[in-house]
Amino acid sequence: MNDQTALKLEKATKFYHRGTETVHAVDNISLAIENGDYCTIVGPSGSGKTTLMNLMGCLDHPTSGKVWVNGKEIERADEKVLTRMRQTSIGFVFQQFFLIPTLTVLENVQLPSLFARKAATEHAKELLTLVGLANRLDHLPGQLSGGEMQRVAIARSLVNSPPIVLADEPTGNLDSRNAEMIMGLFDKLHESGMTIVVVTHNEHLAGKGGKTIAIEDGKITN
Amino acid sequence: MTYMKVAISNLRRNPVRSVLTGLSLAVSAATLCVVLSLDRGYTRAVTEELVAKTGVHMYITKEGCPIEAASVIAQGGLSPLYVAEDMTHKVSAVPEVDVVLPFKLFAITTEDGSRTDIFMGITKEIEKIKPEWRYEKGGWFTSDTSVILGGEMARIENLGIGDKMYSEHFDREFVVAGILPRYYSQDDGTFFIPLKTAQELVDRQGKLSAIAIKLKDISTLDATRNQIRASMPPDYYVLGSKELGEGILEFFGSTRVVLYIMAGVAILISIFSIVNTMLMAVLERRREIAYLKCVGAGAGDLLHLISLETLVICITASAAGAITGSFISPIFGRIMRRYLIAFVPSGSISQPDFAIALVSFIICLVVGVACSLYPAFRASRIVPMEVLRNE
Ligand SMILES: Nc1ncnc2c1ncn2[C@@H]1O[C@H](COP(=O)(O)OP(=O)(O)OP(=O)(O)O)[C@@H](O)[C@H]1O
Ligand SMILES: [Mg+2]
Repeated sequence: MNDQTALKLEKATKFYHRGTETVHAVDNISLAIENGDYCTIVGPSGSGKTTLMNLMGCLDHPTSGKVWVNGKEIERADEKVLTRMRQTSIGFVFQQFFLIPTLTVLENVQLPSLFARKAATEHAKELLTLVGLANRLDHLPGQLSGGEMQRVAIARSLVNSPPIVLADEPTGNLDSRNAEMIMGLFDKLHESGMTIVVVTHNEHLAGKGGKTIAIEDGKITN
Repeated sequence: MTYMKVAISNLRRNPVRSVLTGLSLAVSAATLCVVLSLDRGYTRAVTEELVAKTGVHMYITKEGCPIEAASVIAQGGLSPLYVAEDMTHKVSAVPEVDVVLPFKLFAITTEDGSRTDIFMGITKEIEKIKPEWRYEKGGWFTSDTSVILGGEMARIENLGIGDKMYSEHFDREFVVAGILPRYYSQDDGTFFIPLKTAQELVDRQGKLSAIAIKLKDISTLDATRNQIRASMPPDYYVLGSKELGEGILEFFGSTRVVLYIMAGVAILISIFSIVNTMLMAVLERRREIAYLKCVGAGAGDLLHLISLETLVICITASAAGAITGSFISPIFGRIMRRYLIAFVPSGSISQPDFAIALVSFIICLVVGVACSLYPAFRASRIVPMEVLRNE
């Protein structure tokens, strides 16, 4: 086991039961993503990308197999450990932005620091500067465009300084210009040394990352 | 950034809903406060009236009479039970006794039932026994057909001193000898007539409703009561005015039960309302809550956050309700005074105060907090995976 490994899966499977049928959403996948990697997961709709990302992000437990995050094996059951892991190790970005409409941009970004019991006003401002929204701190999410909201969401995922960012279709709701900007942002984060995992079915965006994992029917195909 | 800030911001998302949820609890708090004020107010006013304002320390009645006094007035009529007038002399002979007032009380309801007049046959001793007895106009009876009018009666009948008043029921004409000021008590609606006339009108010569007694020294009450009781026939009752008050309050008991049921129902409705709205507020935000879990919110954080939301509503609403209740309860006191039939004391029926408001506030707050637990628990159990649920 390498110290440099940010995320590691070993023979991980995730089965869902739909009626009598068993769906092999993730089927015996082993992979390792090193610290500082930029990894893109591609595949057609329903191929198991999101399920795979859930396993990496400790949002879900594998039916079988093992998962390590930052060299630490994720045991089943202990919800406290998982919560702690999500606070400190992983930032999530989703297709929906999940901003709280009555909190300002700055407050939305600070929110995760509340759960981590840290003061983060300055850090939140820095992150908003990074995503190019330094002049919008006091705006409400409703006053922003989709691309800007996603940038706020990215800043929010970073506020507890996680070394890893997992993004599931982060550009799914955006036009190509905004999508470019978001992907540029991930490039910038990658350059600063973070581990980035982006899930997308947009082949266009896929090529940019350093490493691409293509999956189909729950299996890695490349 | 604080939990409180997030909670308040969540409430602001749907302000109408938050206000309506709060309103239901505020109504409960106000109701509770009104009911408590009325309950205590009536109890106090009755006790005060009977002990302090009437100047009467003791009554002699026939068994069942304290309740009868009230029911006579309630239904209009005449009780078959009576106290023999001879007893007056017996009581007067007791050295501790200061004033003895024999009286005859009855109520006459008009044939169409629209109005009940209360008649009280009295002797001049009433001037000595009632501390507040005085005349607005005129004075004591000048003949057998004289009448002294309660303040309210004089106003309703629009009568002055020397005016004639005809009673259809008795086919009798009375002459107004005196008019009392308004005491805001039962006296205001009473016709006072000479005792002899009263007895004759209802054909109860030598019979009394009761004898009211004032002692020289109130501290001798228990001893004197025992002494008088011993000298009376066994079916006579000697009551301290406090005990009479308790009798009247027994009447009020059923009203009180209704009042408390009302408050209970209001609270119950607000429980459903709060649980329902908070649960909805949690469920419609489940993906967002799931996202909060993704960014590191633990079960405890969500419990904290959602119960804070409810708590903010509950504190505000309970306080607003309790304060409003304190202010509006005198209005209910006045309404109740109009419909109370058992015994209407002159003091304020509604006596709100800080302690009552505080009790209402605390009860509603506890209810509110209890209501917040289930929705908060549900929120804390949402799994982060929910974030990916397709709606
Ligand atoms: N909770 C679930 N219960 C049953 N089946 C599920 C569940 N979640 C996912 N699946 C199934 O598992 C398979 C993989 O789903 P997944 O969401 O991982 O695909 P995806 O690659 O992310 O697709 P998309 O590109 O459309 O987001 C699909 O066949 C899906 O229907
Ligand atoms: Mg997906």
